Amino acid sequence: MALKLYDYSLSGSCYKVRLLLAFLKLDYAREQVDFYPGRAHKSLDFLELNPLGQIPVLEDGDLRLRDAQAILCYLADKYDKSGQWLPRDPDLFGTVMMWLMFAGGEIMAASAARLHDSLGYDLDIAAARQKAHAAFRILDDHLTLRAIESTRWIAGDHPTIADVACFPYVALSGDGGIGHEDYPALRNWMRAFRRLPRFHAMSGIPEFV
Amino acid sequence: MQINDQVEADRWVGVALDSQIQSASSHPVILNGRELALWRGESGPARVWDDRCPHRGMRLSFGFVRGNTLRCLYHGWTYGENGHCEAIPAHPDLAPPKTICASTHGTAAKYGIIWVNLSATRAAHVPDLPNQPGWLPVRSVHLRASAPQVLDGIAEFDYGEPARTSMPAQNACVVVLGSDTQLFFALQPIGLDKTGLHVVVNESGEPQIPRRQRLARQVARLRDTIEAGGGGVWPSPRTL
Ligand code: FES
Repeated sequence: MALKLYDYSLSGSCYKVRLLLAFLKLDYAREQVDFYPGRAHKSLDFLELNPLGQIPVLEDGDLRLRDAQAILCYLADKYDKSGQWLPRDPDLFGTVMMWLMFAGGEIMAASAARLHDSLGYDLDIAAARQKAHAAFRILDDHLTLRAIESTRWIAGDHPTIADVACFPYVALSGDGGIGHEDYPALRNWMRAFRRLPRFHAMSGIPEFV
Repeated sequence: MQINDQVEADRWVGVALDSQIQSASSHPVILNGRELALWRGESGPARVWDDRCPHRGMRLSFGFVRGNTLRCLYHGWTYGENGHCEAIPAHPDLAPPKTICASTHGTAAKYGIIWVNLSATRAAHVPDLPNQPGWLPVRSVHLRASAPQVLDGIAEFDYGEPARTSMPAQNACVVVLGSDTQLFFALQPIGLDKTGLHVVVNESGEPQIPRRQRLARQVARLRDTIEAGGGGVWPSPRTL
């Protein structure tokens, strides 16, 4: 087994993969991609690894995968024998997939706002923030109903890759001018997530909780 | 309305559900444009301070709790429950002078809601409700609407059964559904067009989980109805 992650430390998408690798206690090699200012993810060399020009990319032996959500599914399926992180119960599996798509879709508006504010990306920042708030409200509503059942996780009664996929850009949203004041259930879920064993911080997400 | 004209008023305002402010946690809250840090130590009641560290003004709500102290994330200045700075990590041998103190505010917990009074006098009382025990949390929502719009929206909302609305105090509203269910809404004016709404329920026969989830969904629907304009004409002439 030789896991290699094409990584950028400030990327929330790469952070999703680093988090699950840590939760699963997996060793891996990190290849730093000069995302900013080098734009190495758009280089011809990198486009051979991922024609979409996006990080992260994971290699496991001869297999090469792109897309953080796909990588989470792969790692959990192959290396989590307990089945905790990717439940196989059909109802839970479907629910986890639904929120994974949400993490790779609607929540990415918060990533766009962060790229605008921290790296100067040219985009409609008002629209990005509005979409991110709409997504956060949907997740906060969901977690509010979950909390009434005394459950703090997105699906089932333990953390899954749905939580791993949703966490980074929710937690990093302040960098894009999106505060957490309106989302009490999100705040409690984030705190529970940060208290998981083997959780590690990244720039913008404090270690102390 | 000036954004700050209510800040100093002697008045209790609900800013969160007590159940959502867990032990050893800190939270950002905005009241009339004023940034506040709401936090709870490992034990004891929640506290509300200005969201400014006396050191360099960074937000205390980003801080973390150890024991019953709140520590600023930035340089670790440590504040006890009375707001006084107890330790400065960069100067471990120094007893911090008593003048270093966070701006603390009056805080109370009643009906499952955390109330704040930003005035220095605090002669006012938290609004009085019937059936003081037995209030259970439903949920908080945050609306893009003014407090008067939210009050109108609560009164006009179709709860699916007969509803009677009364206002025991400014920024507080009781809706009686049927004969038995009381919903209490505490309004938190955040800005001119933003309002927090903290909702608790009281009914005979403690509401079970599906019932509380249904009420929580209904409050989300109330939020969405008010934001969509609700069909009402605003601002309404109804006095507060
Ligand atoms: S700003 Fe809070 S300790 Fe320095």
